[in-house]
Amino acid sequence: MNRSEEMMTAPENAELLGVEVPVAKIERKLRELWEVDDARANASLINLALYSEENGDLARNSEIVREITREHACRALLIGRDVSVEKVSVRSWITAHCHLVHGKKSVCCEQIAFHLTGTSRGRFRNTIFAHLQSDLPLVFWWQGNLSGMFNESLYRRIDRFVIDSSDWGDVVAQYGRVNAAIEEVGLVVQDLAWTRTYHFRLAVASLYDDLVAARSLVGTRSVKVVVSEQYRTSGLLLLAWFAEMAGWERAQDLIEDDGHGGSYRFETREGGLVDASVVFEEGGAPIGMIEVESVGVCLRVSREVGGKHLHHQFISEGHVVDLHGPVDSDFRAELLADQLSRGGKNSLFKRTLPTFLSLLHWEGS
Amino acid sequence: MSNPFREDLVSRSRPEACTVVIFGATGDLTHRKLIPALYNLAIDGELPTGVKIIGFARRDKSDEVFRDGLKELNREVSRNGHDEEIWGDFENMVEYHQSEFQDADGYRRLAERLDAIDAERGGKGNRLFYIASAPEYFDDVLEHLKSAGLNESRDGCWSRVIVEKPFGVDLASARHLNEVVNQTFEEKDTYRIDHYLGKETAQNIMVLRFANAIFEPLWNSRYIKQVQITCAEHLGMEGGRGGYYDKSGALRDMVQNHLLQLLSLVAMEPPTDLSADGVRDEKVKVIRSLRQWDSPELVEENVVRAQYSAGHVHGKSVVGYREEDRVDPESMTETYVALRCMVDTWRWSGVPFYIRMGKRLPKKATEISVHFRPAPNVLFNATPGETDEGNVLVIRIQPDEGISLRMVSKIPGTTLRLEPVKMDFHYSTSFGKGSPEAYERLLLDAMAGDATLFARRDEVEEAWRFIDHIQRGWHDSGEGDELSMAEFVAGSWGPEEADALLEKDGNSWRRL
Repeated sequence: MNRSEEMMTAPENAELLGVEVPVAKIERKLRELWEVDDARANASLINLALYSEENGDLARNSEIVREITREHACRALLIGRDVSVEKVSVRSWITAHCHLVHGKKSVCCEQIAFHLTGTSRGRFRNTIFAHLQSDLPLVFWWQGNLSGMFNESLYRRIDRFVIDSSDWGDVVAQYGRVNAAIEEVGLVVQDLAWTRTYHFRLAVASLYDDLVAARSLVGTRSVKVVVSEQYRTSGLLLLAWFAEMAGWERAQDLIEDDGHGGSYRFETREGGLVDASVVFEEGGAPIGMIEVESVGVCLRVSREVGGKHLHHQFISEGHVVDLHGPVDSDFRAELLADQLSRGGKNSLFKRTLPTFLSLLHWEGS
Repeated sequence: MSNPFREDLVSRSRPEACTVVIFGATGDLTHRKLIPALYNLAIDGELPTGVKIIGFARRDKSDEVFRDGLKELNREVSRNGHDEEIWGDFENMVEYHQSEFQDADGYRRLAERLDAIDAERGGKGNRLFYIASAPEYFDDVLEHLKSAGLNESRDGCWSRVIVEKPFGVDLASARHLNEVVNQTFEEKDTYRIDHYLGKETAQNIMVLRFANAIFEPLWNSRYIKQVQITCAEHLGMEGGRGGYYDKSGALRDMVQNHLLQLLSLVAMEPPTDLSADGVRDEKVKVIRSLRQWDSPELVEENVVRAQYSAGHVHGKSVVGYREEDRVDPESMTETYVALRCMVDTWRWSGVPFYIRMGKRLPKKATEISVHFRPAPNVLFNATPGETDEGNVLVIRIQPDEGISLRMVSKIPGTTLRLEPVKMDFHYSTSFGKGSPEAYERLLLDAMAGDATLFARRDEVEEAWRFIDHIQRGWHDSGEGDELSMAEFVAGSWGPEEADALLEKDGNSWRRL
């Protein structure tokens, strides 16, 4: 590769990725990293791959891995693919992220960054995945829209597939592909848009521990979810979860979609009708509120922009619950770290998915 | 009424909203452990909405003064730090109830107060009574709870009791206490807390054994030579602890509960299911199978007790036990005990389980080591001078929780030299996030009605039966004399007699 070709295929801020090494010498160079300092412990519980087709994401992802490795020991593989260059090439860099644990031992996680150009069949298998640590599960975070690289030969190898549907333009089409993979190979999907709803769900569940609140559920008249427009899928997932857990069925087609959200109608087990809406609030928190109203009763979980807590409220005549609780992070690295901590096969997400997809298609119809 | 939104949200039994009444609310346990545990559950969003906490104690103080005291300590010890906003909500759940433990009127007022809270909460009347008072008040508290009708489950709601250790001081007192408890609460509503069982690594013993296929086939007398359970503490009788300890001793304070619980987890058969009784049925069989050291001769042969004399710990000179504050200068209370236990079951026939517990040892460490038999004395092991040490699996309970496996490896070089090497797994380096405190898990389990990690009546009584024989052997050897008390220098690993105990079997204590 001559100098001009090299310049053309270099990712932005490559100097932040560590030492550039030939692909064939990655493992040897990694071993050399450890030989220079006996005081460090090399740790990994998972293989964590971060894939992006946006230039500049390799350096950003290296920062994300630095954050994640504070809590989750892993071997990180950063994969950046430049789709604008046709010529097939691979360049690689290695580094280690080290953190002091309890102020004592320095624990390090290895990172290998790949910059790919062009299209080469089998490259994931023979170049990238050759550097997975054996026996450890592969968590694969696909950033941005799914491309042709998302195919069966890739997702069959993945133990947990992480996405953030908030990034997607055509959510219906993208989720259609993800759902096909779920049905085909039982892909375990962890959508950060879903992770973002965790503490809202926990807060709602917690409020319904209250006996008066629990009794009011049967008489629910409306559910309103307020989100920032970019986080529309989080709003739909939250609504879908609520409807699924309450045992409601879709009642009729979308009532209204004025570009500022959507309105829906569900039928309860007892035959009552519930109006539901997902409303966009410009400049608001990613998820700003879920509000459930029954006769004379209001249950609300809300968050202000930048707020560090969720506000839990249940208001009925002569009975008020007013508390603050934890909130989900606005940062993806922290969301992923939280998701990794919870582990599991995401059964609740799978249970919610059909209702969510039905809401998506509802909108699309 | 079930809450559909709790379904699947967390993968365990669901804790239910309740009022937690803590007896002995001005004590150290409440301030340092229980309230920070409840607060951390609130911070993690795990505490059900509607939980109320009532501190019941003798001292006269207002809600505000009580809360301020709790807040001060919480700032110091809370695992997740202290958030003023969440504390603000949390402290609104906390109230103080002043009463003598023997005052019937105090319990009647408590009942009225609980009814008012239930009414405010919409009629849900779950109650969790936590008896953290001094043991001499256990009877009073339980009897008055019954007289006030607070033990009764009403309208589909539950009423449960958590009892702190010490659960009796011998078999007779434990039985008496069990009688009193069971006259007040049903066994299914009784939670005898042993915080060791709430520790992450203690819970992991069953996972290690039964979720990994490689260990269970080897987990028997054919492959295991000995098991050692060590609980070492470098502290002595700081903070006036001598008064309590001198009446108790290492055997009753630690072995009867925590260490026999660990032993039962290591030695139990696989339970048929993970229900509370499924697990506890198997654990109690182990305790019941312990060979009884029921004569002074057997006690002398299998148990060593000792006290520390003046020495140095962590570079500081320390006094001997009998010179400690609030300790009888002629005390015959052991600060160190080493036992050789035999579990008379098919699986463990002939395998000694050694337990040692001591104060003023060189460091703080609790761990279980499983020593496998060495490989046959052929091939590499036949080489003169080479190691014949077997593999050792170590489960570290605290600190530095983790698991390690010692195995033999060839030392690089042109000659054949074998040395033991260690494969190590540390919770702290593998999982960056700190584990919840044992009390967090246990309080949540009690709210959820899951008694798996709590001791059952028969477990407690069987453990006391075993301990009582040793106590009798020490104090009632038939000639009016006590069996001898060994001595060791503070900061050493215990008396020579404890080493000799293992040497008789051709074993030695693992070096920590």
